[in-house]
Amino acid sequence: MLAGELYYLMLLLFGTGIVSVFFTRNSAKYTNYIAHSMALMGCVTAILCATFVFLEGEVMVALPVSLPFGVIGGSIDYLSAYFLLIVGVVGVATSIYAYGYSREYDHCRLPLMAGLYNAFLLSMVLVLTANHVIGFIIAWEVMSLVSFFLVNHEHEKSVNNRAAYIYIVMTHIGTVFIIIAFLLLSLGAGSMDFSQLRGYLVSETLRNIIFISVLIGFGTKAGMIPFHIWLPRAHPAAPSHISALMSGVMLKTAIYGMCRFFLEFLGIGPIWWGTLILVLAIITAVIGVLYAVIEHDLKRLLAYSSVENIGIILVGIGAGMVFMSSNQPILAGVAFSAALYHAFNHALFKSLYFMGAGAVMQATHTKNMEQLGGLIKRMPYTAVFCLVSSVAIASLPPLNGFVSEWLTFQALLFLPQAFLGLTGSFFSAVLIALLGLTGALAAACFVEAFGITFLAKPRSKSAAQAVEVSAPMLISMGVVAGLCVLLGIWPQMMLLVLNQTLMSFPGIDTVGLVNHEWYALAFTANQGSGGISTLGIILLLVSGFLVALLLHYRFGKEKVRIGETWTCGIVPNSHMEYTATGFSKSIRMVFKNIVHPHYETLVNANNNKYHGQKLSYHVRIRYVFVSVVYRPINEMIIRIAKFMKSIQTGSVQLYVGYIMAVTVIILIWSTGW
Amino acid sequence: MDAIISMIQSLGIMLLAPLVAGIIKTVKARLQNRRGPSVLQPYFDLMKLLGKDSVVSPTVSWIFHVAPYVYFAGAFAAAAILSVAFFPRNNFGDLFTLIYVLALGRFFLVMASLDGGSAFGGMGGAREMFIGILVEPAMLLSILTIAIKAQTTNVGMMVESVGNPLLSLHYVFASLAFYIVLLTETGRIPVDNPDTHLELTMIHEGMVLEYSGRKLALIFWASAVKQLILIVLFVLLFLPGSIFSGAPIIGIILKVLLVALFIAGTETITNKMRLFNVPKFLALSCLLSLLALVAQ
Repeated sequence: MLAGELYYLMLLLFGTGIVSVFFTRNSAKYTNYIAHSMALMGCVTAILCATFVFLEGEVMVALPVSLPFGVIGGSIDYLSAYFLLIVGVVGVATSIYAYGYSREYDHCRLPLMAGLYNAFLLSMVLVLTANHVIGFIIAWEVMSLVSFFLVNHEHEKSVNNRAAYIYIVMTHIGTVFIIIAFLLLSLGAGSMDFSQLRGYLVSETLRNIIFISVLIGFGTKAGMIPFHIWLPRAHPAAPSHISALMSGVMLKTAIYGMCRFFLEFLGIGPIWWGTLILVLAIITAVIGVLYAVIEHDLKRLLAYSSVENIGIILVGIGAGMVFMSSNQPILAGVAFSAALYHAFNHALFKSLYFMGAGAVMQATHTKNMEQLGGLIKRMPYTAVFCLVSSVAIASLPPLNGFVSEWLTFQALLFLPQAFLGLTGSFFSAVLIALLGLTGALAAACFVEAFGITFLAKPRSKSAAQAVEVSAPMLISMGVVAGLCVLLGIWPQMMLLVLNQTLMSFPGIDTVGLVNHEWYALAFTANQGSGGISTLGIILLLVSGFLVALLLHYRFGKEKVRIGETWTCGIVPNSHMEYTATGFSKSIRMVFKNIVHPHYETLVNANNNKYHGQKLSYHVRIRYVFVSVVYRPINEMIIRIAKFMKSIQTGSVQLYVGYIMAVTVIILIWSTGW
Repeated sequence: MDAIISMIQSLGIMLLAPLVAGIIKTVKARLQNRRGPSVLQPYFDLMKLLGKDSVVSPTVSWIFHVAPYVYFAGAFAAAAILSVAFFPRNNFGDLFTLIYVLALGRFFLVMASLDGGSAFGGMGGAREMFIGILVEPAMLLSILTIAIKAQTTNVGMMVESVGNPLLSLHYVFASLAFYIVLLTETGRIPVDNPDTHLELTMIHEGMVLEYSGRKLALIFWASAVKQLILIVLFVLLFLPGSIFSGAPIIGIILKVLLVALFIAGTETITNKMRLFNVPKFLALSCLLSLLALVAQ
């Protein structure tokens, strides 16, 4: 089995990457090239390994690690291989990107970062391939800790510190629930081996508890609302290629965990499981994108957009579970294909935009959009790649985002076949409308993100002097942009992979989605059907474009005169441009009950009585989930701690007294009164 | 054969769109006791603009130059998707695709409005996007009043499922809901004013302020096509029933004219509303759609 050997090779490469930095730590150049080359080769091997699994079948690999709980093994089944493919593809791009990007960190603990980068990739691969509870949890914990150190890499900035600590607290709350879920399940199965864990071995109540624990545990890692608060802090704090990995891949490990539980371990559950996920998912999507659109920090905007996309993925999963419960295998297949397709798409376009944001940061040293602008002329290639990513994130045809969004829409449209009567049509209509709202808000968000950052005049000196980034960074972005286009026009390739990934699970039938023309996406289920042709859309758009060109040159070549933008007779400058804050103002006003904006206008009239007043305008957003959910909990914990403090005075005599008292009580109790 | 007919149909939509815009304009003028331009005026405008040179700001990038083409291509593709949909068995006349292809054009045009670097363009673009956000759920809901029952979003199959029904409460609610969406999406009074780009009203017209000459002609034409597409959708889905069973196309044309008259009437008897009343207007549409779902 070639896949097994490739798997060991991959682990070896990542391991070498970690170790190599100890030997090259005196030379930033060697550290950069050797460590990132190891990561690059490891990720290529991961892609090959996943490919061979898809070609030759699932493999078992036993790691030579023996613990009291048994030998920790790994296995790569199709689901693991699918997510391994995501790690590999995004990892290849970020590793190439890192050659150029990590020059920023030459004097900022580069060996540490490069070593941790390899460790991060290694831990994610182990999470995806572990087939033993203990192995999974160890890998999961390593992944969390390594990413904590990476988030905290620039620990001189206090904001990063705080982000990292919130991240580690939240992720451990999640881990607690994941451990609960695993232990309850293995208690029923009497084994910690993944192949033995089955939901029907535990009672119905226990199964529901496991479901809730899984939802909270993996939901925290995925950034599901209301457990999302770490995400918009942690992602901007990390170096950009790490942010790309965290957002593109690490969130997907949580999706992997959910799929593992919902498809395999727990079995087909009651219908309220799927319904609950659908409700939480659509809230996550809408609130996530709403926070994204009012954000003016580029990387925070992207982080919130990740929350939104996780919402869309979970909509697919929720709908799939609803269809599984109501015995609609074809529709469940459509819904799960939509979810996993979107997971792959999100990994691509979000890592692409994070890499683009990193390029912008490297060139301008700011991620505040209000200080950018005009970069399309200074950084033409980065701009094109970010534009591709924007169109894909806004789920517009002909790119990949549209395909998975369309599948999700279709899955929701058929909800009435699971819920009978008015409930079904109502639920379906409201969910589709909210998903449409999410899509439109995402489009607005990325018009803003791209338009304010790249178009018009530069708003600051650093933006005016930006230069295009180095070749490795451009190549890596170009590769991912190309994949976004490819997956947009060749859906059958992905559906073929998804079919193999999903077909072994009970209650899912994806065969109907494949075996069409390479450009087609069509299915028929019970009384309904749907279909699009990606090639048709592209041909129509291209012919529309040609018709427009023909019209344009119908009357010969036009003369173009250069004339300044009309600004009522004043010489235009960058202060007249619309800002990100201005662009989203009307959205903030309409959704003010959700986002709670507070405005502050400062007038500095000292300069001149008649003109030259300096106005500064601030918007502060009150984050409902922080102020309503987390702050009270936080305060309660502090209050309890204060109360406990009064019995903990630091006096040894008193502590001896406590021990005495407890001993006496136990003695009395043991006599049985 | 089918392909040829659908090409003729989409060509028909492309070519007749300015006429419908002209009819609305003329009827509106007559209703307001003005003589108004000829119904062919949009064609004259297009010919004039297509022959003109253009003025371009030094601030803009290639996005500004490409956006009108993408907008036009989006409208063209939408017209083609709609005409493919007249054949129910064709699998590729999908309504979500139609909406998203139009959204692609809007996406680029709003970006281009930011490219000029003036506050006017930015304001128009921001408002256009704002209204686009609000109209999306309303539009989907009104379409879903039919799509959910038909269990498909293929326009042809949806039209087939509508068939030839009796007048029912469901259709009254649903068509009112879509009519509101139609007014909003085509930038009509009471949401936007298509005749001016003054600051108070500037949404669509403000957004394209920087354009001139041939690119403006493309935007102008594409907007007219988009308007006709929405009217045809309205006619097909919400004004069902054939008047001339032998030649349904004549019935469709008559109904399109009727809707055009209706739009002119609406524009005459209503006022432009404040921008922040638009959400309420569209919420009304959402509510009507939900009622239509209940009344089904």
